[in-house]
Amino acid sequence: MIGRPIDRFVDWLNDRAAGLSRDTSGTASAASPTWPIALARILLGVLWLGSLRWKLPPDFESDGETSLRQWLELEVEHAAFGVYGDIIDSVVLPNFTLFAWLVFLAELVVGLALLLGIATRPAALLGLLMSLNLLVGLLDVPGEWPWAYVLMAMWHGTILVSNADGLWSARALLPGGNRPLAQSSTS
Amino acid sequence: MTNAISALQTEPRGSLGTTILRIALGLTTLFTWFDNVGKDFYDGDNFPGFFNWAFTPAEEGGNGSSLGFVESIIDNTLLAAPEFFGWLLTLFELFIAVGLLLGLFTRAASLAAIGFFASLFLVYAGGEEWIWTYVLLTAAAVTVFLNWGGRFLGVDQVIAENQGESPATLIW
Repeated sequence: MIGRPIDRFVDWLNDRAAGLSRDTSGTASAASPTWPIALARILLGVLWLGSLRWKLPPDFESDGETSLRQWLELEVEHAAFGVYGDIIDSVVLPNFTLFAWLVFLAELVVGLALLLGIATRPAALLGLLMSLNLLVGLLDVPGEWPWAYVLMAMWHGTILVSNADGLWSARALLPGGNRPLAQSSTS
Repeated sequence: MTNAISALQTEPRGSLGTTILRIALGLTTLFTWFDNVGKDFYDGDNFPGFFNWAFTPAEEGGNGSSLGFVESIIDNTLLAAPEFFGWLLTLFELFIAVGLLLGLFTRAASLAAIGFFASLFLVYAGGEEWIWTYVLLTAAAVTVFLNWGGRFLGVDQVIAENQGESPATLIW
C-alpha cells in the first residue's frame, strides 16, 4: 500500500533522468545486469540484521560491546548539531526502552525486507532515513568514520531507484509480483 | 514474458541508481584523499605506520588484522619501497576519485577502485575495523563498473557520443 506512491515517485524520477541523458551513441540503451544491486540489497539486509546482535531486547545490551544506550550517550556528548544532542538527551534517553524497541523493530523490518526482497522500496526509504540519522548522530563521535554512513545512505538510495528486487527476491518469485519500471523500458 | 523478466533483471547503462553510487563513491574517495594529504599520510615516513597499526594485535592498540598472506605481500612490496608506493597511491586514489566524481574514464576508474577497495578489505579483515565499510565500497565499485556508471551525467557520455566504444570497453 505504502509502496505505490513510492513506486510512482521513483518512476517519475527515472523518467526525468532518462530525459536528461544525452548519450546518443546507442550504448546508453544497452542493458547492464541488475545482480550487483540485488546482491547489495541482500548484503544490506544482512548488515541490518547483524547489527541487531548487540541491541537485543529486553536490555538492548551485549557483553563486551558498546551498548545502544552508550552510543546514544556518545551522540549527546559529541553532538555535531546541538539540537540533535538535546533531542537525544531530553526525549530519547528518558524514554530509552520505547526508543530502543523502535530502533530494534525498524532495523529488523528493514533487514528482513531487504534480505528477502519484500516491500523493497519502502524498506530502502526507511533504511536511507536511518542511515542519515546515523550520519548526523555520529558525525563528531571519536573513532567513527562518517563516510561509512554516507555509503549506507548511498546504497539505500540506489536500491530505492533501481530494480533491486528484480531477482533473488520473494517479489520476483511471486506470480505477477514484479512491477514494470519506467527505467526498465530500455527501448 | 521472457522479455518482461529480462527487463526486470537489467538496468540501462548509467542508470540513476548507478550514478548515485558513482558520485557518492567519488566524493568519499576525494574527501578522504584530501584528508590523507593534509595529514601527510602518503609520505614515505608515515605511510608504513598505517600497515604496522593494521597488523598490530588489538590488545596492543592496533586493528588486529589477521590475514597473514596479506601482511606478507605488503611487507615485500609497499613497505619495501614506501616512498615510491606513497606517491603511486597518491596518484592512484586521486585518479579514482576524480574519475568517479566526473564520470571520466569511469570503466578504468571503477576497475581501479575495485582493486583498491578489495585490497583495503583484505588489509582490515579479521580486525576491529567495521568491515562492512569495505564491503559497501567494493560492491559499489563493482556495480559502477558493470553498469557503466559514467554514461549518465558523466563526461564518458560525451566521449562515447563522439568516439564510440573505448578499446576493449575498459576506459570509458
